Amino acid sequence: MQRTLILLIVAVALNAAAAAATGGNDLLPPQVAFRLSAQMAKGDEILVRYDVAPGYYLYRSKLKFSVESPAVSLGTPRTPKGSVLDDEFFGRVEIYRADVVIHIPVKLPAGAQSFTLVARSQGCADAGVCYTPLQQRIVVGPGMGERVPETPPGDGRSLIDSLGGDTAPKR
Amino acid sequence: MTRTRQAFVFIAVALVALVAGLILYPLSREPASLPAGTPSGLLDTALESLEGGRQSLGTWRGKVLVVNFWATWCGPCRKEIPEFIRMQQRMGGQGLQFVGIAIDEKDKVAAYVREIGINYPILVGELDAVELSRSLGNGMGALPFTVIVDRQGKVVHTFLGATTEAKLEPLVKALF
Repeated sequence: MQRTLILLIVAVALNAAAAAATGGNDLLPPQVAFRLSAQMAKGDEILVRYDVAPGYYLYRSKLKFSVESPAVSLGTPRTPKGSVLDDEFFGRVEIYRADVVIHIPVKLPAGAQSFTLVARSQGCADAGVCYTPLQQRIVVGPGMGERVPETPPGDGRSLIDSLGGDTAPKR
Repeated sequence: MTRTRQAFVFIAVALVALVAGLILYPLSREPASLPAGTPSGLLDTALESLEGGRQSLGTWRGKVLVVNFWATWCGPCRKEIPEFIRMQQRMGGQGLQFVGIAIDEKDKVAAYVREIGINYPILVGELDAVELSRSLGNGMGALPFTVIVDRQGKVVHTFLGATTEAKLEPLVKALF
């Protein structure tokens, strides 16, 4: 039994070594590259956090938030200043490379403890690919949010509408 | 089992694991790969054309097709398109046909096509186009994504990330 365990560990280690030897630069799924969490901060504000994996970045201007319940209303998100990317095609655009926390004012109906937030984002990998716009749903409550299983956005038009902003071509 | 025998089994299993890792890893890290010659429903798919109406990719059956999924908001996509324009100009007469599928807003696409003078047909899609690219091996839904299709309609090569004229040319010529 013990021997089997050791063999298993060796096999895993060697596979990792093989992975490193061959480059080991898999592209992360966007939900992993741009990991979303959220929580109620005070009664009237939520904190939304993206953990951006090294080698990936999110466009500040592409972050959009909405709620599904008409009883919940969101204020204007306060997104922190990003770092400036001097893009060959789009000029100077603000991006987030590390973790970013966004403050969003919120009004909940009396007695409500949690609600579902819909977060839209768009980002790229330094490896030279950009992801199609990402829509993530998350339940926001007193603790860190629980991710709701990914569902494809129901409406392709609104997905595309969320594009635009400061990445418009400069020429 | 003697100690020597144990050690032998240990080393043998470790070697098998190493070899398996080396063989399988490059496959697993190529998200955009389909086995060569995979038939696809690509040529049976219709998407909205820039001129209006739907256009089937089957229109170009019999040509060596390079289908490029892109968007105006995608920097790496913009980088490779001028090379595609040159190749289409140079090799169109030999049966090469580029087709762009933009995952984007139609008016932005039309403006960009005019701006840089894209000389091959452009179709426009939303989730339908994202799904089509996924069905061709682009599991991450990332752009740019390019597939080479032979004259029989089989996808023979796929690229995730920007590609170049130099990389495409020998692959395309092999299909003429």
